[in-house]
Amino acid sequence: MASQVMTNLDPKSRAAAKGLSDLTIRNLFIIPTIAFLIIFNIFPLLYSLAYSFTDFRASTRAPANFVGLQNYRDLLSDPFIWSNFSITAKYVLISVTGQVLVGFGLAMLLNRAIPAKGLITTLLLLPMMLSMAVVGLFWKLLYDPNFGIINYFLGLEKFEWLADPDMALYAIAIVDIWMWAPFVMLLSLAGLSAVPKHLYEAAEIDRASGLYTFFRITLPLVAPILMIAIIFRTMEAFKTFDLAYVLSSQPTTELIAIRLYKMAFQEWQTGMSSAFAYIVLIMVVAITNIYVKYLNKVKAR
Amino acid sequence: MAQIDIQNVQKFFGQHQVLKDLNLTIEDGEFVVMLGQSGGGKTTALRAIAGLETVTSGKILINGEEVQNRKAADRDIAFVFQSFSLYPHMTVRENIAFPLRAVRMNAADRDRAVKAVAETLQIAQHLDRKPSALSGGDMQRVAIGRALVRRPQALLMDEPLGVLDAKLREQMRAEIKRLHIARGSTSVYVTHDQIEAMSLADRIVILHDGVLQQVGAPDQVYLQPTNLFVAKFVGSPVMNVSDVRIDGNNVRLNGAEAGFRFPDETLSTVRHAEAGLTLGVRPEAVLLAHHQGEGYVPVVTTNIEPLGSHDIVDVQLGGTVLRSRTASGFVSGEGQQVWVRLDPAQAHFFDKATGLNMRGAN
Ligand SMILES: Nc1ncnc2c1ncn2[C@@H]1O[C@H](COP(=O)(O)OP(=O)(O)OP(=O)(O)O)[C@@H](O)[C@H]1O
Ligand SMILES: [Mg+2]
Repeated sequence: MASQVMTNLDPKSRAAAKGLSDLTIRNLFIIPTIAFLIIFNIFPLLYSLAYSFTDFRASTRAPANFVGLQNYRDLLSDPFIWSNFSITAKYVLISVTGQVLVGFGLAMLLNRAIPAKGLITTLLLLPMMLSMAVVGLFWKLLYDPNFGIINYFLGLEKFEWLADPDMALYAIAIVDIWMWAPFVMLLSLAGLSAVPKHLYEAAEIDRASGLYTFFRITLPLVAPILMIAIIFRTMEAFKTFDLAYVLSSQPTTELIAIRLYKMAFQEWQTGMSSAFAYIVLIMVVAITNIYVKYLNKVKAR
Repeated sequence: MAQIDIQNVQKFFGQHQVLKDLNLTIEDGEFVVMLGQSGGGKTTALRAIAGLETVTSGKILINGEEVQNRKAADRDIAFVFQSFSLYPHMTVRENIAFPLRAVRMNAADRDRAVKAVAETLQIAQHLDRKPSALSGGDMQRVAIGRALVRRPQALLMDEPLGVLDAKLREQMRAEIKRLHIARGSTSVYVTHDQIEAMSLADRIVILHDGVLQQVGAPDQVYLQPTNLFVAKFVGSPVMNVSDVRIDGNNVRLNGAEAGFRFPDETLSTVRHAEAGLTLGVRPEAVLLAHHQGEGYVPVVTTNIEPLGSHDIVDVQLGGTVLRSRTASGFVSGEGQQVWVRLDPAQAHFFDKATGLNMRGAN
């Protein structure tokens, strides 16, 4: 298919006049991209893989010693690291579940003829377009126990959202939900509006209740696109850094990305943190794979 | 099974009136076909009966109960959509079982009902397939199966064979008829194909521009059309139509020198509308002969359509082309001299202003 397109070079075109073959033109487009990818992605990836087997520290001039799998062994047996992982898992679960519930709910509300639908949709999408750090900063103000507007409206007096070790993770998740539920909403809306209207009419004729129609028709037909939204959001939530870093510095909110940052750039354990990064990478790939398998199963239905 | 009564139903979409004072009673067990051109309001009428569309005014009664304000689910009516509307993510079995599961019928009864319907419709071997893996005819069978599985009050079908090819249509038509005879369900069937209408209907309802034109048995609609629209819409090839002048017993077609002699009893009912009359004769009432005879007018053939079982021969008379249905091979070619006569018993006279059939057949 692709080669067919490329051989169809118009013989009267300027490229043809200059004697450029199809192959030359193709290479002209592809080589810079490949070069860019290798220099900025592949090479650092492999380089850090090499570091992950050493005790290298970027802060000293000491030569790197090969330590084999020692870094990996240390990390995987470190209880603190596991606590980072379980905090992250909890965060991902709360945040993604919240985004899906809120986002899909909003999409259901918007998927009908309502006045000013376009305007409402646009307004709802705004949080998504802001920078994470900015969002973190102004939510910090909103959460403030002394003058924060949230406590004022909820009548919570001096409730400590971010200083309370049990509450802080939820507080961060709430911000993430506020910011990214619109993303889920957008994809869900696309999915919902792709469900043919006549199927709902058929269901009505078949005397299905609203709830039955939702679970047997709407949800199965929107599931594939909802899965895609969930994959994206899970991956993003898994590597959340800025929001949590700006909002709170509690041990109970130390997500893996923050732990990794500290290890690499505060403790300068470059080799160790490279190994850590690889463990995280493998996990993300594994989780994504599970999702994609499930997605394919949903799509096959 | 049920009787459906439609009383003074009007339907507006904004300013646009789609149904104009519709009155119709569909008897229990009857097969009624709604026939009409595109945009005539057939689908709207059917959807109004089903409850998929509200009516602006008027009543719809099922078994004597007013239902016009009830939701579709509460009317217990089945509907076969033109686009089939099968649930794409469910197997054939799940599709047919859907109306039963939706009302929580127990699994054993459900399976039995699904199996029975699948066997009647000859789709038992496809039960575990997805709709996308079926042919058009089988999809239609599934759609009908889903409608029949729960024994509804009435079965409404909106051009169910519209997307099938000609051969399959004919086959499915016969099957729908057979099913109807077997189950005796009150059925309303929408189509714009008159052959489908003729072959299926107990009664045909002709809708045009939201106005009911005629209700009657197929032969009645064909032989005694109430107005020019029905006359031209039903029958293939189309009825020959020409403005005429009547002098005494002589009926002269628009622009023709010679006229046809009609007996008194034919003309007695039409004389009083001499202001403007339109004559309609079906091709089988245009009689051709090779020799001059009593009441025949000489003409020249202009075109011949050989259709195997018979031919359609065009002859030019004045400003009018008359199409005649003849035995095949009756006329050998174009440009031949033949003689033509009209059968007075099968001639219709329509008032030019109102389009009404002057012989008051109906
Ligand atoms: N939802 C709607 N909103 C506005 N106008 C509509 C709507 N549905 C139908 N109409 C109009 O009503 C008229 C009748 O439509 P309807 O679908 O009932 O015709 P039909 O006889 O079924 O035609 P067809 O043979 O093409 O299916 C058409 O002019 C159509 O444009
Ligand atoms: Mg229609």
